[in-house]
Amino acid sequence: MNGTARSGDYSLLDLIILDSGYIIMSDTLTLDVIGGRVKVNGEHATVRFVGVVPPVAGPWLGVEWDNPERGKHDGSHEGTVYFKCRHPTGGSFIRPKKVNFGIDFLTAVKNRYVLEDELEEDEKEQIVTIGNKPVETIGFDSVMKQQSQLSKLQEVSLRNCAVSHAGEKGGVAEACPNIRNVDLSKNLLSSWDEVIHIADQLRHLEFLNLSENKLKFPSGSAPLTGTFSALKVLVLNRTGITWAEVLRCAAGCPGLEELYLESNEIFISERPTDVLQTIKLLDLSSNQLIDENQLFLIAHLSRLEQLILSDIGISSIHFPDAGIGCKTSMFPSLQYLVVNDNQISQWSFFNELDKLPSLRALSCLRNPLTKDDKDTRTTRQLIIAKIGQLKTLNKCEILPEERLGAELDYQRAFGNEWKKAGGYQDPDKNRLSEEFLAAHPRYQFLCLKYGAPEDGELKRQPLMLKNQLLTLKIKYPHQLDQKVLEKQLPGSMTIQKVKGLLSRLLKVPVSDLLLSYESPEKPGREIELENDLKSLQFYSVENGDCLLVRW
Amino acid sequence: MGVIRSREGPGGLAEGGRPNCTESTDPLSPSADGIRTGQHRSLFHPEQLLSGKEDAASNYARGRYSVGSEVIDLVLERTRKLASGSPLSSKGAVPGACEVLWQNSPALSAVTIATNHVSLGAEQCGELQGFLIFRSFGGGTGSGFTSLLMERLTGEYSKKTKLEFSVYPAPRVSTAVVEPYNSVLTTHSTTEHADCTFMVDNEAVYDICHHKLGVERPSYANINRLMVQAVSSITASLRFEGPLNVDLIEFQTNLVPYPRIHFPITTFAPIVSADKAYHERFSVSDITTACFESSNQLVKCDPRLGKYMACCLLYRGDVVPREANAAIAAMKARHSIQFVDWCPTGFKVGINNQPPMVMPGGDLAKAHQALCMLSNTTAIAEAWARLDHKFDLMYAKRAFLHWYIREGMEEAEFLEAREDLAALERDYKEAGQSV
Repeated sequence: MNGTARSGDYSLLDLIILDSGYIIMSDTLTLDVIGGRVKVNGEHATVRFVGVVPPVAGPWLGVEWDNPERGKHDGSHEGTVYFKCRHPTGGSFIRPKKVNFGIDFLTAVKNRYVLEDELEEDEKEQIVTIGNKPVETIGFDSVMKQQSQLSKLQEVSLRNCAVSHAGEKGGVAEACPNIRNVDLSKNLLSSWDEVIHIADQLRHLEFLNLSENKLKFPSGSAPLTGTFSALKVLVLNRTGITWAEVLRCAAGCPGLEELYLESNEIFISERPTDVLQTIKLLDLSSNQLIDENQLFLIAHLSRLEQLILSDIGISSIHFPDAGIGCKTSMFPSLQYLVVNDNQISQWSFFNELDKLPSLRALSCLRNPLTKDDKDTRTTRQLIIAKIGQLKTLNKCEILPEERLGAELDYQRAFGNEWKKAGGYQDPDKNRLSEEFLAAHPRYQFLCLKYGAPEDGELKRQPLMLKNQLLTLKIKYPHQLDQKVLEKQLPGSMTIQKVKGLLSRLLKVPVSDLLLSYESPEKPGREIELENDLKSLQFYSVENGDCLLVRW
Repeated sequence: MGVIRSREGPGGLAEGGRPNCTESTDPLSPSADGIRTGQHRSLFHPEQLLSGKEDAASNYARGRYSVGSEVIDLVLERTRKLASGSPLSSKGAVPGACEVLWQNSPALSAVTIATNHVSLGAEQCGELQGFLIFRSFGGGTGSGFTSLLMERLTGEYSKKTKLEFSVYPAPRVSTAVVEPYNSVLTTHSTTEHADCTFMVDNEAVYDICHHKLGVERPSYANINRLMVQAVSSITASLRFEGPLNVDLIEFQTNLVPYPRIHFPITTFAPIVSADKAYHERFSVSDITTACFESSNQLVKCDPRLGKYMACCLLYRGDVVPREANAAIAAMKARHSIQFVDWCPTGFKVGINNQPPMVMPGGDLAKAHQALCMLSNTTAIAEAWARLDHKFDLMYAKRAFLHWYIREGMEEAEFLEAREDLAALERDYKEAGQSV
């Protein structure tokens, strides 16, 4: 026999709901369970098949595990395909008795938040009422106390509590309507509709965490019902959601401020037009399919202040609407960008970031460019110099002194390149090459801010003694007949020694000599060399200067 | 002196009004300006910010004898004024604690913010419960002035608790050469006056900030913000209600087996970077396990080398008693955690439903469940041994000693202090031995 077994060929089983809220199969299995999320011995799975698997008698559930290696096969058994799995070892057949179909929301809340001794009292009560006669309600006070406690609940964490459905309609709204904050991560919710059933009853819901639930998201545009009117934060990490589904869900959240979509293999396929316009924070970490071109589609969210793009494999970014040195119109409110753990290896990345008008903080740890440990200081300085308005880098504040040092060092470091590329002291003469401008877009601005780098700063000479000698002219302003001498003196020579040298030369006693110097760069300005114990270097005497000797 | 009083509003949060926390900062450091002109200056009453003209120059002797003695009376007078305010007619003044903050660590304002989303009515304390003293071991004021102050406080307020939060000199990161001298001298003189001293060291916090929070080069601001979370957890019981609320006094009763063995280490979990918020969810048992890992400790010390004498677990946020008990039972079963023979149970648990606050724009992600663990372990003797060793190296050569002698100290005091610390090490060793 080949072909797919029809799900209708099975014996019917009933359901029993235990006091603890767990649903077990006893008599009836309906087709409804297909697609449902279940838990078997702590492992999560999706039901794909219900029925008989001959030759073994009795009902079986075919499940596809979340963990693709947990199963024994891919849904086929002895040649017959009962259901399909994505992975060759992703499926198993399990006896319904062993499967936990989950509990409803309210029961989960009660399980967690009601104190144990009160639960015991409840059980006693139930045992008593199973009998024929109605018995006086013992522990009613405690039940009321329990319920009044629940109605005070604002923050509820039901992570991994096997919640699969909303339960009785209105039950949640009656018992705990004041819940503002729900963590429903890693539960057994199977569809967005079920989430809506729960959220509908929580009018004040502001925070909802649905991470690690394999939900079936709406396929068409859902009618706006005002369910999530108060919702500010939505966490959908690891739910397998697609971008189109994100937009559909977000349509029902008019006031959404923070959206977390980590690890979903998201590919941004369209530009959000009426939705997501209020978000301030978007976390797209670990979505490896995102590339820089997709970012253009979210570039016009006008309120977006924080964008987390860690671990998406990005290596470059560009804002084509802005030329060198201009600001882009994209990401107008973006203040904090996180690009840790990516593939950034070019400095052009940071050049582009300078175009963002509101960027104040950046985190870019563990990228190929910034990974080199011995150069972390230089890397940090370069990033600071390249992005002018940055106030915080890698969570460390950039103090004004640090910025000053970084920008001056940057200027000096690329000064020679600038000159070669056509840079001049006189800005009118500048003819900088395209290449240089592209690699160093801020350089001109820095020149305007600090002045163009001087030649003296740019020369880097090897440290030989002859390079440390200053070639100085020696003039005698009062003795017109004496020739102008040229001498080479070390910068570390003290004024006293210079005087001694001159004294021997001129046959004039040391005490009569008065020294000063002038620089050809600043003609007319004479600087006295009065302190005998100081060196020429101390007075900033440089190569080509002229010593003036009087007596 | 600073006052923290809490007034319960719905859910334990403050009702309106600005917190009026009054602090007295380092009277010996001319730069209390950081606080006066800082972002959070409105938290401090100007009268309570005392500053002097000279500083203690990293010298215990100056802090305690010469310069400190000039300012101590003024400080005590202000404390008296605060502590003995008129009984309040206003609603619900809860017994508070006084805070004395020293400006050895800048960004003190960070401390006040995290502990103070409460509102205060009048400036005076209704019922003074005790003092919280924040100081460093290594500086002049932190060591010298504090020892003087503690002595005088014991004299005047003998019945009140005095809790210290001390910044212990880090093993490898040093700010002053004479740290060991200052630390040993101050430990000797304050041990008998402090009821409990929570130790924190900069290096441990630095490492946490760098490795776990993605801070490239942690500054004092980053370090203080983390420390403050621990402090906030410890004082949470004073400020908010909870199902298993543990009082400050209760902590001590459970943490301090002998009067001199009062140096618990602080551990905090979960420590998650704000950039990775909600990527991983930590259950109550996860954070409990994390607290027994040395990477979450705020002091560099290896508890596996010693034995636990007592453990206080302060859960904050959405934690139910059942989960807390289950988590602890799981830890007790782990044989890697050794307790001393004479104290088999050893765990005290408190739950406070108010989740920890984080500073906006800070490094830490907001956690809905957090745990601060205070454990008294014999392994801390290793920290003392390190300190004593450094002290011995310098003292053998009488290096830097003249700075202290000049201010009027005698060598005998050094020897006495060193002897006291040796005795402390022996006490720890004895406590760790089997009955």
